[in-house]
Amino acid sequence: MIPAAFEYSAPASLDEALALLSAHGDEAKVLAGGQSLLPLMKLRLATPGHLVDLTRIPGLNRIEQDGVPSAGDQRIPVPVASRLQRPMLSIGALTLYCQIEESTLLRQACPLLPQTASAVADVQVRNRGTIGGSLAHADPAGDMAAAALALDATLRAVGPSGERWIPAAEFFTGFFTTALAPDEILVEMRVPVLEGWTTTYRKAAPRASGFAIAGVAVCLRKGPDETCQEIRIGVTGVTERPFRAHAVEDALRGKPLVASVIEEAAEAVAEGVWIAEDVRASAAYRAHLARIYASRAIQGARDADTPGGLSTGL
Amino acid sequence: MISAERPQGTSVGKSVRSHEAPRHASGRGHFVDDYRLPGMLHAAVLRSPHPHARIVGFDVTEALGLPGMVAVLTPDDVRSMSRPFAPGRYAAGLRTPVPEYASAVDKVRYVGEPVAAVAARDAATAEDALDRIVVEYEPLPPVVGTSEAMRRDAPLLYEELGTNVPWRGAVSYGDVDAAFREAELVVRDRLKMHRYSSVPLETFACIASADPTNATLTVWVNAQVPDVIDDALREGLGLRDVRIIIPDIGGGFGQKIHLIRKYVLITALLSLKTSRPVKWVEDRSGHMMAGGHACAQEWDVEAAVQRDGTVLGLRVRETDDVGGSISTLTIHFTNKLNNLFNTYTTQHLSLEGSSVVTNKCPVVPNRGIGKPGMCFVWERTMDRVAQTLGMSPVEVRTVNLIPSDQFPYQTPNGNIYDSGDYAGMLRRAMERIGYEELREEQARLREQGRCLGVGLAVAVEPGGRNAARDLALFPGIKGVSGSGGVNGATIRLERSGMVTLLLGSPNCGQSHETTTSQIVGDVLGLSPDRISVISPFDSEVAPWGSAAANSGNNFHLYDIGAAHDAARKLRERILTLAGHLLNTDPEDLVLEDGAVSRRSRGTPDQDGVGPSHAPSPHSPTPRLTFAELGRVAYGNQALLPKGFEPGLQETSYYTFPHAEPFVVPDEQGRVRAQFTFSAAVHIAVVEVDPATGEVEVQRYLIVSDNGTIINPSVVDGQIYGSAAHGISVALGEAFVYDEDGRLLTLTLTDYGKSTALETPRIEVEHRPMPSPFTTLGQKAAGEGAAIPSPAAIASAVEDALQPFGVRVRELPLTPEAIWRLIGSSAR
Repeated sequence: MIPAAFEYSAPASLDEALALLSAHGDEAKVLAGGQSLLPLMKLRLATPGHLVDLTRIPGLNRIEQDGVPSAGDQRIPVPVASRLQRPMLSIGALTLYCQIEESTLLRQACPLLPQTASAVADVQVRNRGTIGGSLAHADPAGDMAAAALALDATLRAVGPSGERWIPAAEFFTGFFTTALAPDEILVEMRVPVLEGWTTTYRKAAPRASGFAIAGVAVCLRKGPDETCQEIRIGVTGVTERPFRAHAVEDALRGKPLVASVIEEAAEAVAEGVWIAEDVRASAAYRAHLARIYASRAIQGARDADTPGGLSTGL
Repeated sequence: MISAERPQGTSVGKSVRSHEAPRHASGRGHFVDDYRLPGMLHAAVLRSPHPHARIVGFDVTEALGLPGMVAVLTPDDVRSMSRPFAPGRYAAGLRTPVPEYASAVDKVRYVGEPVAAVAARDAATAEDALDRIVVEYEPLPPVVGTSEAMRRDAPLLYEELGTNVPWRGAVSYGDVDAAFREAELVVRDRLKMHRYSSVPLETFACIASADPTNATLTVWVNAQVPDVIDDALREGLGLRDVRIIIPDIGGGFGQKIHLIRKYVLITALLSLKTSRPVKWVEDRSGHMMAGGHACAQEWDVEAAVQRDGTVLGLRVRETDDVGGSISTLTIHFTNKLNNLFNTYTTQHLSLEGSSVVTNKCPVVPNRGIGKPGMCFVWERTMDRVAQTLGMSPVEVRTVNLIPSDQFPYQTPNGNIYDSGDYAGMLRRAMERIGYEELREEQARLREQGRCLGVGLAVAVEPGGRNAARDLALFPGIKGVSGSGGVNGATIRLERSGMVTLLLGSPNCGQSHETTTSQIVGDVLGLSPDRISVISPFDSEVAPWGSAAANSGNNFHLYDIGAAHDAARKLRERILTLAGHLLNTDPEDLVLEDGAVSRRSRGTPDQDGVGPSHAPSPHSPTPRLTFAELGRVAYGNQALLPKGFEPGLQETSYYTFPHAEPFVVPDEQGRVRAQFTFSAAVHIAVVEVDPATGEVEVQRYLIVSDNGTIINPSVVDGQIYGSAAHGISVALGEAFVYDEDGRLLTLTLTDYGKSTALETPRIEVEHRPMPSPFTTLGQKAAGEGAAIPSPAAIASAVEDALQPFGVRVRELPLTPEAIWRLIGSSAR
């Protein structure tokens, strides 16, 4: 339970970090909060020759709305013009789970992120783990990935040839793999402020601090008379990567949000997907839980009484 | 029977400030890993990746070439430098002894079995070196399940035994066949418990320091039972001068009794080989793989029952999956003698056992050892009888409980239950939980499709081990058993007036220092915080005997008994000396607040006497402080009474004074397996989500009789911890192997131990029935709630799922297991 020997660098700038990644190639691994990587190294399941620690790079730990830094517990007044352009939230890759959990801005403008962050592991992990580290690690049962998918987030990666934006839907490509190139660093997640949407994250886990056997994040916009106007569902823990449950979304759009309709739609959540099987759950039980939790998460979003979005009462 | 003399002081019965908590809460405890010796090397153990294989080749060249590497211990070294362990009492059932060394020498029989070890300048180098040792294995087909192991054509773990079932045996009390002939009906069931552990926070740890110049060996180790280590080192290494130091232990629970000796021996061999001190600290995955598991047990149960619910007889056939070692072959079977009849008046019982070796981790004691299993058998059977007869589970138990006017009560197998009021406890538990109201609530919720369940378990908790117990099964055991138990304590009034207490046992976190300081403080009229209890345990200093074990629920009997007796002897000596100095009949003296004075007949005078002087004849209330007595006892010959040996130190060795009859088995195999009997009623209220199988424990009530309670918060702590463990065992924590014999639960993430978030609040109500046999009426509390809680949860989940007609026959009740139960019954 002692990692194999490795080199360690803590660059002070992104450029320096990128240079280190280029220089060390496959041997290099990016260290953010270390809550997934270090246990793997201790078990010697990962033996990187060089760790590039991002925590000393300024500007990667922040939660902002349209470029305006969050001012503690203050609500941020948003200019009308910016609201018309669909206000966006930006979360730096090194933002800690606990900061997301406690952010007043996010609780108002994007409650799904705090809801999901508070379901991650235990307090110790939430105090050290980062959202960027979690997304880039791409654990098939990562909680934040489900939220990023449901929020239709976009992810900014920086590499030797500049930056690019990757939609969350294209980011998770397989078992612990992402669209990031080995010499790229994930630096930011952007999500739209969802005015008038309600959200939930529900996860089945044998222990509160455990990984999801099935986790479902839902963003829902209700139409008049309790119909589903728009819905986005991110699912984690079920297969080799987190995914959007398009079949369920399609089955619900325009439909009344009554239990029987939701339950029927949720049946499709894991259709056509290879279902993981491990010591915590068989494939059959995991698929069953995914259906139950999808149904409950959708009903939870339907019943949530605090829609996300920015206050317009200023 | 006898009236125990109560101490005169006032701290017994109070939750006095803990001696141990401040140092542990502030990170100042001393655990093995905190010790650093000059020149110390660090060890790492190479473990088998195969469940079953022959070792055919070994190459350490590359490992030895690693900078910082000092030595490798190979199977050949182990064979040439040490002898196999002597077969202990739990291997007594073997017809042919099988040599077992500290590490595998020819075959590996479980994933994680030690095959080699290295010593290097630091732990990281040692671990790096493991990757450079080349072991050539010839894999053999693994034998994973017991039924597979028992097949005629199964591959053999021990070819020399010719079978994978090295032991079969039985005990029988009463006339079981007659009971079944007489019975109005027979209730049958097939039950099962799984492999689990306590996963103590501190894994195994050891430092061995061999001094080749005078053939001595000192080990620092977090072992619970010093004589297991002592025997292993003396017999294994042929050393006479072995010293064992046991500092603070981060949790024992039985895990640190048996298997740990292998690693102590391995570390000692590395120290002998290098002539340097060597430290080894086990890592978590090593502990999960090879640190020992509680035995998976299966039972076929038949109960001979009358229509009024009386259980006349019980016939149990048990199969134990003991894993890849023969050293603890019968441990889970023989421990069932301790609570064989649980709390019931049944007179006829037979228990047949088969111990099956498999390619899994060896079994070790775990909080209660076979007793949670025996309780599970009884309590599941009681629920089954109730269902069969259409009676309430409370009623069936009430019919069978030993009535309170029959104590001391002798069970058919020779246990003598000292005291108890089981029916009273059950009534109280029902009343406090609001049983009738819960049943109404359950009916209301069922109409909404919700599944509320109330479960019940009643249990004895035996305490104080009798070393002769296993002779009931193996009359021929030589040299390993003894009878009863002995442990000592030494107490000293120091020159400074402080009182120092030296216990005969190590302490693995149960506040022994606090509890014993209360006992002796009360005897000496001294506040417990003025008593210093010596830590660590040191085998060359401590007054220890066969019962010096942080196991077997021994502390309350042997350690408290010895500490109390030693304190009483010291008290007599103090009174004799003070009487002489004060020129007063000792009968007229009192010990109070660290001083001796004449019984007050007026206002006490604080001035008393000056230091180091005989009392002033002018003093109105003659008084001597302990410091003054200390100075006389250790330095002022002229003031000592004639014939009074200087110094104020007393040692007492305690044996249980009421061990007869049955301290050794009679011709019918009746033996006092243990000497005191605590008891408890557990009630669990759960809600099961029928869609997912998830269980929420809404209430958990324990009405508990632990005899006279010395420190309520210590006893409650034992109950909370053991209940939390048992509940977690029932609801999901488990060691899981795949069909190829590979352990899938290598980390705590996968093992599924409940955290504080999943653990319900445990409500405890004490109904102490003091033991007439013990020093203060105290009984055991350590294994406690781990014995009945798995059964109580099983009972509650089954009750919740009654609309589905579900029968709970095995643990653990993971959400998936419950979902499958519902599926198989309802669909």
